[in-house]
Amino acid sequence: MTELMIEADRLTRVFGDVTALDTVTLTAPRGAVLGLLGHNGAGKTTLVNVLTTQVPPSSGTARVAGLDVRQGDQIRALIGLAGQFAAVDGQLSGLDNLITVARLLGAGRRAAYARAAELLDLFGLAGAARRPARTYSGGMRRRLDLAMSLVGHPEVIFLDEPTAGLDPESRLVLWRIVGRLARDGITVLLTTQYIEEADRLADAIVVLSGGRVVASGTPAELKAQVGTSSVRVTPVWPHGPARVLDCLSEAGFRAFAGPGARSVSTPVAEPGLVASVVRALDAAGIGVSELNVTEPTLNDVYLNLIKPEPVR
Amino acid sequence: MLNLCQPVVLLLLFSQVFGAIANPELLPPGTAYVDYLLPALLVTTVMGPATNSGVGLVRDMTGGFLTRLRSMPVDPCWILLARSVSDVARVVAQLIVLVIAGVVLFGFVPAGGPLGMLAALAVAVLVAWTLTWIFLALGSWLRDVEMMQSIGVISVFPLMFASSAFVPVHAFPGWLQVVAMANPMSHAMRATRELALGWSTGHTLPAVATCVGFLALGMFCAVRGFRRPIVG
Ligand SMILES: Nc1ncnc2c1ncn2[C@@H]1O[C@H](COP(=O)(O)OP(=O)(O)OP(=O)(O)O)[C@@H](O)[C@H]1O
Ligand SMILES: [Mg+2]
Repeated sequence: MTELMIEADRLTRVFGDVTALDTVTLTAPRGAVLGLLGHNGAGKTTLVNVLTTQVPPSSGTARVAGLDVRQGDQIRALIGLAGQFAAVDGQLSGLDNLITVARLLGAGRRAAYARAAELLDLFGLAGAARRPARTYSGGMRRRLDLAMSLVGHPEVIFLDEPTAGLDPESRLVLWRIVGRLARDGITVLLTTQYIEEADRLADAIVVLSGGRVVASGTPAELKAQVGTSSVRVTPVWPHGPARVLDCLSEAGFRAFAGPGARSVSTPVAEPGLVASVVRALDAAGIGVSELNVTEPTLNDVYLNLIKPEPVR
Repeated sequence: MLNLCQPVVLLLLFSQVFGAIANPELLPPGTAYVDYLLPALLVTTVMGPATNSGVGLVRDMTGGFLTRLRSMPVDPCWILLARSVSDVARVVAQLIVLVIAGVVLFGFVPAGGPLGMLAALAVAVLVAWTLTWIFLALGSWLRDVEMMQSIGVISVFPLMFASSAFVPVHAFPGWLQVVAMANPMSHAMRATRELALGWSTGHTLPAVATCVGFLALGMFCAVRGFRRPIVG
């Protein structure tokens, strides 16, 4: 059996009358990338805070690298955290930020400098190494923050929405880095709101909603839960997604629209049912401007599970 | 640089404004107003920076580097200690500039001699250290920048003015005498005066002991407060 680096068992955290985490159970073996997907307030950051020993659980247990999260210091020596908001010192240069962390972890002056230089290279920050971090762009700050969390060669690393607010190019850079970490045998827990990101990076995905795990499995398993294919319908103006939703629901399909989307998606159990979708729309007099049949995406999974109110 | 001169500006203002109205008969015989004032300013100078220390801690706790340190195997004692050392070091520079300016520009005569003056500075640094830890303790429990700023303003002015800093306590109305005598700052000022001006040093030891007591309390509470998780 592979060694479990992250384990949560019926983990619960309550803040006043908000249950931020509700009996969350999940595991990640060594070297895995676990993607944590959830909308705002789903409990992602709270879970990261509990696993990084910053917030004690209200009930249930959590272990990181085999150690109970209540054993703070021992765990902190094994983990790295890049939180939702970059924790860098704006007054210090990127180089000094990294050196400070290395020195705090007990490295000698020379070793600290060497490690800092290595990470600056790895993260493409060598050119800005001596500038104060407050002059960095958002993407550079994020990269520096991630670099700082890697200084101590952690075995488990927690990334809380590492690509929020990044442009597609910086996002790709970060994805490549995460891929490399996983290849090096580092266990990664990554929270995100981007389905594509979880799909690309994660070996296993846990979907949180309202503090509960509403789905978990490999990306492929989650997609399989939805059906064999997914039909996306964009109605002809002036019909909106609401009309399409009503019509398809009446016809017995599970349909949903993404927030703000003009189109409606419906997963179908077998390809033959695509025709039924079209017939139902036709019968209701809804013109279709665009119709795609795709493999189910994680978007379908996500929207299906979380059922957001369509924007009308 | 501006920071360094700030206490000198206050010395200029206070010595001129209060010196103009100070009744020499109230002062101990043979004491010029600047001699009376300057040792007390050593103590008042350290108050503002101490409150800033607490505010700075809260700022760092809610965003910057400190959030990272919490996820690292670093004992919070060291974080607080480092902060207090660097903040107090800055104050020490201010104190030295203040004394030099006092002697050179304002005719301050430390009758206690160089050793006495150094001892008075040491007491002021101890007070700085203690106040810094008290405000670090407040910050690590309250964790609210605005509240810390209000507490700073609300506490500094009474501590500064309801004391023997500018006028001897026996010149105050009765109720204020009670307050000023209860104000620990008055006792610290008494100690710095005794040392700097070569008075008999009967009040120095109790004042230093009290200070050390507060320091221990502040350190204990600060570390306890800082170790608490971010929430709950
Ligand atoms: N310190 C706290 N005090 C009170 N409630 C809190 C606290 N921290 C989190 N919560 C609540 O717990 C719930 C989960 O918050 P959390 O920050 O974990 O969400 P999230 O999934 O990280 O959201 P986001 O995508 O916006 O970062 C929210 O309802 C939030 O208001
Ligand atoms: Mg969050």
